[in-house]
Amino acid sequence: MFGKGLVKGLEITWKEFWSPKTVIQYPEAQNPIPERFHGRFVLDTDKCIVCGMCANACPNKVISLKKQKVGTKQFLTNYVMNIQYCMFCGLCVETCPKDALHFSKVINMNQYFYNNIPLVLVQREAPAEQVEQEKPAAKPTPQLKADALAPTAESEVAASKASDKEGE
Amino acid sequence: MIRTQEYNLNFGPQHPSTHGVFRILLTLDGERVVKAEPICGYLHRGVEKLAEARTYTQFIPYTDRLDYLAAMLQNWGYVMAVEKLMGVEVPEKAEYMRVISGELSRLASHLIAIGTYSLDIGAFTGFLLAFRERETTMDLLEELTGSRMTLSYARIGGVAADAPDGWLEKVDKFMDKMPTCIDEYDGLITGNEIFQARTREVGVLKPETAINYSISGPSLRGSGVDYDLRKAKPYGVYDRFDFDVPLGKNGDCFDRFDCRMKEMRQLVRIIKQAIQQIKEIDGPVIGKVPKVIKPPVGDAYAEIETSKGIIGYYVVSDGSPKPYRVHVRRPSFINLGYLDEMLRGYLVADVVAILGSLDIMLGEVDC
Repeated sequence: MFGKGLVKGLEITWKEFWSPKTVIQYPEAQNPIPERFHGRFVLDTDKCIVCGMCANACPNKVISLKKQKVGTKQFLTNYVMNIQYCMFCGLCVETCPKDALHFSKVINMNQYFYNNIPLVLVQREAPAEQVEQEKPAAKPTPQLKADALAPTAESEVAASKASDKEGE
Repeated sequence: MIRTQEYNLNFGPQHPSTHGVFRILLTLDGERVVKAEPICGYLHRGVEKLAEARTYTQFIPYTDRLDYLAAMLQNWGYVMAVEKLMGVEVPEKAEYMRVISGELSRLASHLIAIGTYSLDIGAFTGFLLAFRERETTMDLLEELTGSRMTLSYARIGGVAADAPDGWLEKVDKFMDKMPTCIDEYDGLITGNEIFQARTREVGVLKPETAINYSISGPSLRGSGVDYDLRKAKPYGVYDRFDFDVPLGKNGDCFDRFDCRMKEMRQLVRIIKQAIQQIKEIDGPVIGKVPKVIKPPVGDAYAEIETSKGIIGYYVVSDGSPKPYRVHVRRPSFINLGYLDEMLRGYLVADVVAILGSLDIMLGEVDC
Protein backbone atom coordinates (compact mmCIF):
# COMPACT_ATOMS: atom_id res chain seq x y z
CA MET A 1 0.00 0.00 0.00
CA PHE A 2 1.34 3.40 -0.91
CA GLY A 3 2.09 5.49 2.14
CA LYS A 4 2.91 2.57 4.40
CA GLY A 5 6.57 3.56 4.47
CA LEU A 6 5.69 7.12 5.37
CA VAL A 7 3.59 5.96 8.32
CA LYS A 8 6.42 3.69 9.49
CA GLY A 9 8.84 6.61 9.26
CA LEU A 10 6.51 8.77 11.32
CA GLU A 11 6.24 6.00 13.89
CA ILE A 12 10.03 5.95 14.27
CA THR A 13 10.15 9.74 14.52
CA TRP A 14 7.43 9.62 17.19
CA LYS A 15 9.40 7.01 19.16
CA GLU A 16 12.61 9.02 18.87
CA PHE A 17 10.76 12.15 19.99
CA TRP A 18 10.28 10.62 23.45
CA SER A 19 13.71 8.98 23.75
CA PRO A 20 16.38 10.60 25.93
CA LYS A 21 18.27 13.51 24.43
CA THR A 22 21.71 12.77 23.04
CA VAL A 23 22.80 16.34 22.40
CA ILE A 24 24.99 18.04 25.00
CA GLN A 25 24.95 21.80 25.45
CA TYR A 26 28.69 22.31 25.03
CA PRO A 27 30.01 25.11 27.21
CA GLU A 28 27.83 24.06 30.16
CA ALA A 29 28.34 20.33 29.77
CA GLN A 30 31.11 18.40 28.09
CA ASN A 31 31.74 14.83 27.08
CA PRO A 32 34.56 13.15 29.02
CA ILE A 33 37.86 13.48 27.19
CA PRO A 34 39.58 10.13 26.62
CA GLU A 35 42.99 9.29 28.01
CA ARG A 36 44.76 9.30 24.63
CA PHE A 37 43.28 12.59 23.48
CA HIS A 38 45.50 14.72 21.26
CA GLY A 39 45.34 18.01 23.12
CA ARG A 40 47.89 20.70 23.92
CA PHE A 41 51.47 19.44 24.31
CA VAL A 42 53.24 19.18 27.64
CA LEU A 43 57.00 18.79 27.99
CA ASP A 44 58.55 17.31 31.08
CA THR A 45 61.79 19.29 31.12
CA ASP A 46 63.40 17.06 33.77
CA LYS A 47 63.04 14.01 31.55
CA CYS A 48 64.00 15.71 28.28
CA ILE A 49 67.52 14.89 27.10
CA VAL A 50 67.43 17.37 24.20
CA CYS A 51 67.99 14.68 21.58
CA GLY A 52 65.82 16.46 19.01
CA MET A 53 64.14 13.28 17.84
CA CYS A 54 60.70 14.87 18.18
CA ALA A 55 61.74 17.67 15.84
CA ASN A 56 63.03 15.16 13.30
CA ALA A 57 59.90 13.00 13.49
CA CYS A 58 57.55 15.88 12.74
CA PRO A 59 56.22 15.84 9.17
CA ASN A 60 55.69 19.59 9.13
CA LYS A 61 58.82 20.76 11.02
CA VAL A 62 56.65 22.25 13.72
CA ILE A 63 59.11 21.84 16.56
CA SER A 64 62.22 23.96 16.95
CA LEU A 65 64.51 23.66 19.91
CA LYS A 66 67.70 25.31 21.06
CA LYS A 67 70.25 23.90 23.44
CA GLN A 68 73.43 24.88 25.24
CA LYS A 69 76.15 22.74 26.64
CA VAL A 70 76.40 23.02 30.42
CA GLY A 71 79.29 20.98 31.76
CA THR A 72 78.95 17.60 30.07
CA LYS A 73 75.19 17.77 29.60
CA GLN A 74 72.98 19.47 27.06
CA PHE A 75 70.67 22.11 28.48
CA LEU A 76 67.36 22.92 26.80
CA THR A 77 66.93 26.67 26.52
CA ASN A 78 64.17 26.98 23.97
CA TYR A 79 61.36 24.66 22.91
CA VAL A 80 58.82 26.20 20.60
CA MET A 81 56.05 24.50 18.61
CA ASN A 82 54.64 26.35 15.64
CA ILE A 83 51.27 24.93 16.53
CA GLN A 84 49.46 26.45 13.55
CA TYR A 85 51.19 23.94 11.29
CA CYS A 86 50.67 21.00 13.66
CA MET A 87 48.51 18.10 12.45
CA PHE A 88 48.28 16.52 15.94
CA CYS A 89 49.35 13.19 14.47
CA GLY A 90 51.32 12.26 17.57
CA LEU A 91 54.51 11.11 15.82
CA CYS A 92 56.65 13.38 18.03
CA VAL A 93 55.14 11.99 21.21
CA GLU A 94 55.60 8.46 19.91
CA THR A 95 59.29 8.88 19.08
CA CYS A 96 60.30 10.54 22.37
CA PRO A 97 62.72 8.01 23.89
CA LYS A 98 62.36 9.34 27.46
CA ASP A 99 58.58 9.85 27.38
CA ALA A 100 59.10 13.53 28.14
CA LEU A 101 56.72 14.93 25.56
CA HIS A 102 53.07 14.07 25.83
CA PHE A 103 49.56 15.26 25.10
CA SER A 104 47.31 16.86 27.68
CA LYS A 105 43.55 17.11 27.61
CA VAL A 106 43.51 20.87 27.00
CA ILE A 107 41.44 21.51 23.90
CA ASN A 108 41.26 25.27 23.98
CA MET A 109 44.33 26.64 22.24
CA ASN A 110 42.69 29.69 20.70
CA GLN A 111 44.57 32.95 20.57
CA TYR A 112 43.48 36.45 19.77
CA PHE A 113 46.68 37.38 18.00
CA TYR A 114 48.69 35.52 15.39
CA ASN A 115 51.93 36.17 17.23
CA ASN A 116 50.71 34.31 20.28
CA ILE A 117 49.97 31.11 18.39
CA PRO A 118 53.40 29.39 18.73
CA LEU A 119 53.32 27.14 21.75
CA VAL A 120 56.33 28.04 23.90
CA LEU A 121 56.99 25.06 26.11
CA VAL A 122 60.44 26.10 27.34
CA GLN A 123 62.12 29.48 27.27
CA ARG A 124 64.85 29.95 29.83
CA GLU A 125 68.46 30.89 30.35
CA ALA A 126 71.13 28.26 30.75
CA PRO A 127 72.89 28.08 34.13
CA ALA A 128 76.05 30.18 34.56
CA GLU A 129 78.65 27.43 34.05
CA GLN A 130 77.97 27.15 30.35
CA VAL A 131 80.98 26.50 28.19
CA GLU A 132 79.96 26.99 24.61
CA GLN A 133 76.87 27.67 22.62
CA GLU A 134 75.70 25.21 20.03
CA LYS A 135 73.75 25.64 16.89
CA PRO A 136 70.00 24.82 16.95
CA ALA A 137 69.38 21.09 16.69
CA ALA A 138 66.41 21.25 14.38
CA LYS A 139 67.82 23.27 11.57
CA PRO A 140 65.27 23.43 8.75
CA THR A 141 66.45 21.58 5.67
CA PRO A 142 66.77 23.80 2.62
CA GLN A 143 64.77 21.47 0.37
CA LEU A 144 61.50 22.42 2.01
CA LYS A 145 60.28 25.57 0.42
CA ALA A 146 57.37 25.83 2.85
CA ASP A 147 59.92 26.32 5.60
CA ALA A 148 61.41 29.32 3.97
CA LEU A 149 58.02 30.89 3.55
CA ALA A 150 56.96 30.25 7.12
CA PRO A 151 58.29 32.70 9.66
CA THR A 152 60.73 31.03 12.00
CA ALA A 153 59.56 30.18 15.45
CA GLU A 154 62.18 32.30 17.15
CA SER A 155 61.19 35.47 15.40
CA GLU A 156 57.58 34.82 16.20
CA VAL A 157 58.33 34.27 19.84
CA ALA A 158 60.26 37.50 19.96
CA ALA A 159 57.32 39.24 18.40
CA SER A 160 54.88 37.63 20.79
CA LYS A 161 56.91 38.83 23.76
CA ALA A 162 56.61 42.35 22.57
CA SER A 163 52.94 42.16 21.69
CA ASP A 164 49.88 42.17 23.86
CA LYS A 165 49.30 38.99 25.86
CA GLU A 166 45.56 39.51 26.05
CA GLY A 167 44.82 36.32 24.18
CA GLU A 168 46.32 34.00 26.74
CA MET B 1 6.66 27.98 -32.33
CA ILE B 2 8.68 28.69 -29.23
CA ARG B 3 12.40 28.70 -29.76
CA THR B 4 14.37 27.22 -26.87
CA GLN B 5 17.97 27.77 -26.17
CA GLU B 6 20.44 25.75 -24.15
CA TYR B 7 22.02 27.49 -21.21
CA ASN B 8 24.78 26.84 -18.70
CA LEU B 9 24.38 26.48 -14.96
CA ASN B 10 27.18 26.37 -12.46
CA PHE B 11 26.50 23.71 -9.88
CA GLY B 12 28.92 24.30 -7.02
CA PRO B 13 31.67 24.70 -5.93
CA GLN B 14 29.93 26.05 -2.84
CA HIS B 15 26.81 23.94 -3.05
CA PRO B 16 26.02 21.83 0.03
CA SER B 17 25.07 18.74 -1.95
CA THR B 18 28.40 18.55 -3.74
CA HIS B 19 29.77 17.34 -0.38
CA GLY B 20 32.77 19.59 -0.59
CA VAL B 21 34.19 21.93 -3.17
CA PHE B 22 33.20 20.32 -6.44
CA ARG B 23 31.79 22.07 -9.48
CA ILE B 24 29.68 20.72 -12.31
CA LEU B 25 29.12 22.91 -15.32
CA LEU B 26 25.66 21.85 -16.47
CA THR B 27 24.35 22.57 -19.94
CA LEU B 28 20.59 22.56 -19.64
CA ASP B 29 17.71 22.42 -22.04
CA GLY B 30 14.87 23.66 -19.89
CA GLU B 31 15.27 21.48 -16.83
CA ARG B 32 16.92 18.55 -18.59
CA VAL B 33 20.66 18.06 -18.45
CA VAL B 34 22.23 17.98 -21.91
CA LYS B 35 25.84 17.89 -20.85
CA ALA B 36 27.67 17.94 -17.55
CA GLU B 37 31.29 18.85 -17.14
CA PRO B 38 32.77 17.94 -13.76
CA ILE B 39 35.44 20.40 -12.66
CA CYS B 40 37.57 19.37 -9.73
CA GLY B 41 40.78 20.60 -8.16
CA TYR B 42 39.50 23.08 -5.59
CA LEU B 43 40.91 20.99 -2.77
CA HIS B 44 44.14 19.99 -4.48
CA ARG B 45 47.02 20.00 -2.02
CA GLY B 46 49.59 17.99 -3.93
CA VAL B 47 49.69 15.14 -1.45
CA GLU B 48 51.63 12.91 -3.84
CA LYS B 49 54.34 15.54 -4.22
CA LEU B 50 54.42 16.23 -0.48
CA ALA B 51 55.24 12.58 0.06
CA GLU B 52 58.53 13.01 -1.77
CA ALA B 53 59.73 15.47 0.88
CA ARG B 54 58.65 13.32 3.83
CA THR B 55 59.95 10.06 5.25
CA TYR B 56 57.84 6.94 4.87
CA THR B 57 56.38 7.25 8.36
CA GLN B 58 55.81 10.98 8.08
CA PHE B 59 53.49 10.49 5.11
CA ILE B 60 50.95 8.52 7.18
CA PRO B 61 49.17 11.63 8.57
CA TYR B 62 48.78 12.95 5.01
CA THR B 63 46.92 9.83 3.89
CA ASP B 64 44.33 10.62 6.58
CA ARG B 65 43.51 13.76 4.73
CA LEU B 66 42.61 12.06 1.48
CA ASP B 67 39.39 10.46 2.64
CA TYR B 68 38.99 12.03 6.03
CA LEU B 69 35.72 10.22 6.72
CA ALA B 70 37.39 6.81 6.74
CA ALA B 71 40.95 7.75 7.66
CA MET B 72 42.02 4.36 8.96
CA LEU B 73 41.34 2.70 5.61
CA GLN B 74 43.58 5.22 3.88
CA ASN B 75 46.39 4.67 6.40
CA TRP B 76 46.02 0.96 5.97
CA GLY B 77 46.37 1.02 2.20
CA TYR B 78 49.53 3.09 2.38
CA VAL B 79 51.26 1.07 5.09
CA MET B 80 50.38 -2.11 3.23
CA ALA B 81 52.22 -0.83 0.18
CA VAL B 82 55.33 0.06 2.23
CA GLU B 83 55.19 -3.26 4.07
CA LYS B 84 55.05 -5.05 0.74
CA LEU B 85 58.06 -3.05 -0.41
CA MET B 86 60.05 -3.88 2.72
CA GLY B 87 58.79 -7.41 3.25
CA VAL B 88 57.73 -6.68 6.82
CA GLU B 89 55.53 -9.18 8.60
CA VAL B 90 52.62 -7.71 10.51
CA PRO B 91 51.72 -9.35 13.85
CA GLU B 92 48.36 -11.07 13.98
CA LYS B 93 47.02 -8.80 16.69
CA ALA B 94 47.82 -5.71 14.65
CA GLU B 95 45.93 -7.17 11.70
CA TYR B 96 42.87 -7.61 13.89
CA MET B 97 43.18 -4.10 15.30
CA ARG B 98 43.35 -2.83 11.73
CA VAL B 99 40.22 -4.73 10.82
CA ILE B 100 38.28 -3.43 13.83
CA SER B 101 39.36 0.20 13.47
CA GLY B 102 39.08 0.03 9.67
CA GLU B 103 35.55 -1.33 9.76
CA LEU B 104 34.59 1.30 12.35
CA SER B 105 35.95 3.90 9.93
CA ARG B 106 33.89 2.34 7.16
CA LEU B 107 30.83 2.55 9.39
CA ALA B 108 31.49 6.24 10.07
CA SER B 109 31.86 6.88 6.35
CA HIS B 110 28.74 4.94 5.35
CA LEU B 111 26.72 6.71 8.04
CA ILE B 112 27.74 10.03 6.51
CA ALA B 113 26.94 8.70 3.05
CA ILE B 114 23.42 7.60 3.90
CA GLY B 115 22.78 10.53 6.25
CA THR B 116 23.78 13.23 3.82
CA TYR B 117 22.07 11.37 0.99
CA SER B 118 18.77 11.50 2.80
CA LEU B 119 19.44 15.18 3.44
CA ASP B 120 20.09 15.70 -0.29
CA ILE B 121 16.76 14.10 -1.09
CA GLY B 122 15.09 16.21 1.58
CA ALA B 123 14.71 13.95 4.62
CA PHE B 124 16.22 15.70 7.60
CA THR B 125 15.43 13.19 10.36
CA GLY B 126 17.38 10.39 8.73
CA PHE B 127 20.42 12.64 8.63
CA LEU B 128 20.21 13.39 12.35
CA LEU B 129 19.79 9.75 13.34
CA ALA B 130 22.73 8.66 11.21
CA PHE B 131 24.91 11.33 12.79
CA ARG B 132 23.93 10.18 16.26
CA GLU B 133 25.52 6.77 15.67
CA ARG B 134 28.42 8.33 13.83
CA GLU B 135 29.17 10.33 16.94
CA THR B 136 29.43 7.13 18.99
CA THR B 137 31.70 5.61 16.34
CA MET B 138 33.98 8.62 16.43
CA ASP B 139 34.03 8.60 20.24
CA LEU B 140 35.22 5.00 20.11
CA LEU B 141 37.91 5.82 17.54
CA GLU B 142 38.95 8.82 19.62
CA GLU B 143 39.40 6.61 22.64
CA LEU B 144 41.59 4.26 20.62
CA THR B 145 43.70 6.74 18.67
CA GLY B 146 43.32 10.16 20.29
CA SER B 147 41.83 11.80 17.22
CA ARG B 148 38.30 11.78 15.95
CA MET B 149 38.72 11.96 12.19
CA THR B 150 42.37 12.09 11.15
CA LEU B 151 43.37 9.00 13.07
CA SER B 152 46.96 8.26 11.89
CA TYR B 153 46.56 4.92 13.61
CA ALA B 154 48.31 2.52 11.27
CA ARG B 155 52.09 2.27 11.39
CA ILE B 156 54.48 0.54 9.05
CA GLY B 157 54.56 -2.97 10.51
CA GLY B 158 51.48 -2.72 12.70
CA VAL B 159 49.38 -0.16 14.49
CA ALA B 160 50.26 2.71 16.82
CA ALA B 161 48.87 1.30 20.04
CA ASP B 162 46.94 -1.56 21.55
CA ALA B 163 43.30 -1.13 22.48
CA PRO B 164 42.76 0.53 25.86
CA ASP B 165 41.20 -1.51 28.67
CA GLY B 166 37.55 -2.19 28.11
CA TRP B 167 37.53 -0.68 24.62
CA LEU B 168 36.75 -3.94 22.83
CA GLU B 169 33.81 -4.55 25.15
CA LYS B 170 32.51 -1.07 24.37
CA VAL B 171 32.76 -1.73 20.63
CA ASP B 172 31.04 -5.07 21.09
CA LYS B 173 28.20 -3.41 22.98
CA PHE B 174 27.84 -0.76 20.29
CA MET B 175 27.77 -3.44 17.61
CA ASP B 176 24.95 -5.20 19.49
CA LYS B 177 22.97 -1.99 19.31
CA MET B 178 23.83 -1.13 15.72
CA PRO B 179 21.41 -3.49 13.84
CA THR B 180 18.39 -1.88 15.55
CA CYS B 181 19.73 1.52 14.51
CA ILE B 182 20.10 0.33 10.91
CA ASP B 183 16.49 -0.91 11.11
CA GLU B 184 15.52 2.61 12.07
CA TYR B 185 17.30 4.11 9.04
CA ASP B 186 15.65 1.49 6.86
CA GLY B 187 12.26 2.42 8.24
CA LEU B 188 12.90 6.14 7.92
CA ILE B 189 14.74 6.38 4.63
CA THR B 190 14.84 3.16 2.61
CA GLY B 191 11.17 2.33 3.03
CA ASN B 192 9.99 5.87 2.40
CA GLU B 193 7.94 6.10 -0.80
CA ILE B 194 9.03 9.65 -1.58
CA PHE B 195 12.66 8.61 -1.25
CA GLN B 196 12.09 5.63 -3.53
CA ALA B 197 10.29 7.72 -6.11
CA ARG B 198 13.25 10.09 -6.20
CA THR B 199 15.93 7.43 -6.48
CA ARG B 200 14.54 4.38 -8.31
CA GLU B 201 15.47 4.20 -11.99
CA VAL B 202 17.48 7.39 -11.69
CA GLY B 203 21.12 7.47 -12.75
CA VAL B 204 21.24 3.91 -14.00
CA LEU B 205 24.72 2.45 -14.27
CA LYS B 206 24.88 -0.76 -16.30
CA PRO B 207 27.27 -3.47 -15.04
CA GLU B 208 29.31 -3.52 -18.28
CA THR B 209 29.69 0.27 -18.21
CA ALA B 210 30.67 0.18 -14.55
CA ILE B 211 33.42 -2.33 -15.29
CA ASN B 212 34.58 -0.41 -18.36
CA TYR B 213 34.84 2.80 -16.38
CA SER B 214 36.72 1.01 -13.59
CA ILE B 215 34.13 2.04 -11.02
CA SER B 216 34.57 0.35 -7.66
CA GLY B 217 33.04 0.09 -4.23
CA PRO B 218 29.32 0.23 -3.45
CA SER B 219 28.76 2.13 -6.71
CA LEU B 220 29.97 -0.93 -8.64
CA ARG B 221 28.20 -3.46 -6.46
CA GLY B 222 24.96 -1.49 -6.79
CA SER B 223 25.03 -2.50 -10.45
CA GLY B 224 25.21 -6.14 -9.47
CA VAL B 225 28.90 -6.79 -10.09
CA ASP B 226 30.19 -9.00 -7.32
CA TYR B 227 33.62 -7.55 -6.71
CA ASP B 228 34.70 -6.75 -3.20
CA LEU B 229 38.45 -6.92 -2.58
CA ARG B 230 37.82 -8.28 0.90
CA LYS B 231 36.32 -11.36 -0.76
CA ALA B 232 37.98 -11.37 -4.18
CA LYS B 233 41.57 -10.88 -3.00
CA PRO B 234 41.48 -11.13 0.79
CA TYR B 235 44.16 -9.02 2.43
CA GLY B 236 45.04 -8.97 6.12
CA VAL B 237 42.87 -11.46 7.97
CA TYR B 238 39.67 -10.94 5.99
CA ASP B 239 39.67 -14.57 4.86
CA ARG B 240 38.87 -15.58 8.43
CA PHE B 241 35.55 -13.77 8.61
CA ASP B 242 32.18 -14.90 7.44
CA PHE B 243 30.31 -12.12 5.65
CA ASP B 244 28.30 -11.49 2.50
CA VAL B 245 28.79 -8.96 -0.26
CA PRO B 246 25.52 -7.12 -0.77
CA LEU B 247 24.62 -6.52 -4.41
CA GLY B 248 22.10 -4.35 -6.21
CA LYS B 249 20.00 -5.30 -9.22
CA ASN B 250 19.25 -2.30 -11.39
CA GLY B 251 22.29 -0.11 -10.76
CA ASP B 252 20.19 2.95 -9.97
CA CYS B 253 20.64 5.45 -7.15
CA PHE B 254 18.48 3.40 -4.82
CA ASP B 255 20.56 0.26 -5.30
CA ARG B 256 23.79 2.11 -4.61
CA PHE B 257 22.27 3.54 -1.46
CA ASP B 258 20.86 0.19 -0.40
CA CYS B 259 24.24 -1.47 -0.92
CA ARG B 260 25.77 0.85 1.65
CA MET B 261 22.92 0.17 4.05
CA LYS B 262 23.36 -3.59 3.73
CA GLU B 263 27.15 -3.28 3.90
CA MET B 264 26.77 -1.70 7.33
CA ARG B 265 24.99 -4.83 8.54
CA GLN B 266 27.85 -6.94 7.17
CA LEU B 267 30.56 -4.87 8.80
CA VAL B 268 28.80 -5.26 12.13
CA ARG B 269 29.19 -9.01 11.60
CA ILE B 270 32.89 -8.61 10.73
CA ILE B 271 33.63 -6.50 13.81
CA LYS B 272 31.82 -8.93 16.10
CA GLN B 273 33.81 -11.85 14.73
CA ALA B 274 37.07 -9.90 14.94
CA ILE B 275 36.46 -9.00 18.59
CA GLN B 276 35.74 -12.63 19.37
CA GLN B 277 38.94 -13.78 17.65
CA ILE B 278 41.26 -11.04 18.93
CA LYS B 279 40.59 -12.01 22.54
CA GLU B 280 42.46 -15.28 22.01
CA ILE B 281 45.51 -13.56 20.55
CA ASP B 282 48.31 -12.18 22.63
CA GLY B 283 51.36 -10.40 21.35
CA PRO B 284 52.76 -7.13 20.08
CA VAL B 285 50.82 -4.72 17.89
CA ILE B 286 53.86 -3.72 15.84
CA GLY B 287 56.31 -5.98 14.07
CA LYS B 288 60.10 -5.78 13.85
CA VAL B 289 60.72 -2.64 11.86
CA PRO B 290 64.01 -0.71 11.76
CA LYS B 291 63.94 2.76 13.29
CA VAL B 292 64.94 4.44 10.06
CA ILE B 293 62.77 3.01 7.34
CA LYS B 294 64.82 2.51 4.19
CA PRO B 295 63.08 0.12 1.83
CA PRO B 296 65.20 -1.57 -0.85
CA VAL B 297 65.16 -0.11 -4.36
CA GLY B 298 61.96 -1.11 -6.09
CA ASP B 299 58.28 -0.45 -6.23
CA ALA B 300 55.13 -1.88 -4.72
CA TYR B 301 51.43 -1.51 -5.26
CA ALA B 302 48.85 -2.40 -2.64
CA GLU B 303 45.13 -1.94 -2.83
CA ILE B 304 42.35 -2.32 -0.31
CA GLU B 305 38.60 -1.91 -0.30
CA THR B 306 37.63 1.37 1.34
CA SER B 307 34.16 2.74 1.88
CA LYS B 308 34.32 4.52 -1.48
CA GLY B 309 35.91 1.78 -3.53
CA ILE B 310 39.33 0.37 -4.23
CA ILE B 311 42.16 2.59 -3.07
CA GLY B 312 45.58 1.71 -4.36
CA TYR B 313 48.95 3.07 -3.28
CA TYR B 314 51.92 2.80 -5.58
CA VAL B 315 55.20 3.49 -3.80
CA VAL B 316 58.56 3.71 -5.53
CA SER B 317 61.73 3.55 -3.48
CA ASP B 318 65.22 4.61 -4.50
CA GLY B 319 66.75 3.23 -1.33
CA SER B 320 66.70 6.53 0.57
CA PRO B 321 64.58 7.22 3.67
CA LYS B 322 62.13 9.20 1.53
CA PRO B 323 59.86 7.75 -1.16
CA TYR B 324 60.91 8.54 -4.72
CA ARG B 325 57.30 8.63 -5.84
CA VAL B 326 53.92 7.90 -4.31
CA HIS B 327 50.84 7.57 -6.46
CA VAL B 328 47.34 7.10 -5.14
CA ARG B 329 44.54 5.45 -7.08
CA ARG B 330 41.60 7.32 -5.63
CA PRO B 331 38.24 5.59 -6.02
CA SER B 332 36.19 8.78 -5.67
CA PHE B 333 38.00 10.38 -8.59
CA ILE B 334 37.62 7.34 -10.84
CA ASN B 335 33.96 6.87 -9.88
CA LEU B 336 33.33 10.40 -11.14
CA GLY B 337 34.47 9.44 -14.65
CA TYR B 338 31.03 8.35 -15.77
CA LEU B 339 29.19 11.28 -14.16
CA ASP B 340 28.70 13.21 -17.41
CA GLU B 341 26.88 10.42 -19.23
CA MET B 342 25.07 9.38 -16.08
CA LEU B 343 23.52 12.84 -15.66
CA ARG B 344 22.42 13.32 -19.27
CA GLY B 345 18.68 13.40 -19.75
CA TYR B 346 17.83 13.79 -16.09
CA LEU B 347 16.33 16.77 -14.33
CA VAL B 348 18.35 19.29 -12.34
CA ALA B 349 16.87 17.92 -9.12
CA ASP B 350 18.19 14.47 -10.03
CA VAL B 351 21.73 15.80 -10.35
CA VAL B 352 21.85 16.06 -6.57
CA ALA B 353 20.46 12.54 -6.18
CA ILE B 354 22.91 11.00 -8.65
CA LEU B 355 25.98 12.79 -7.33
CA GLY B 356 25.05 11.92 -3.75
CA SER B 357 24.58 8.25 -4.61
CA LEU B 358 28.17 8.03 -5.90
CA ASP B 359 29.37 9.12 -2.44
CA ILE B 360 32.41 11.07 -3.50
CA MET B 361 34.90 12.55 -1.09
CA LEU B 362 36.54 15.70 -2.33
CA GLY B 363 39.73 15.28 -0.35
CA GLU B 364 40.26 12.12 -2.34
CA VAL B 365 39.06 13.45 -5.71
CA ASP B 366 41.48 16.36 -5.67
CA CYS B 367 44.17 14.57 -3.66
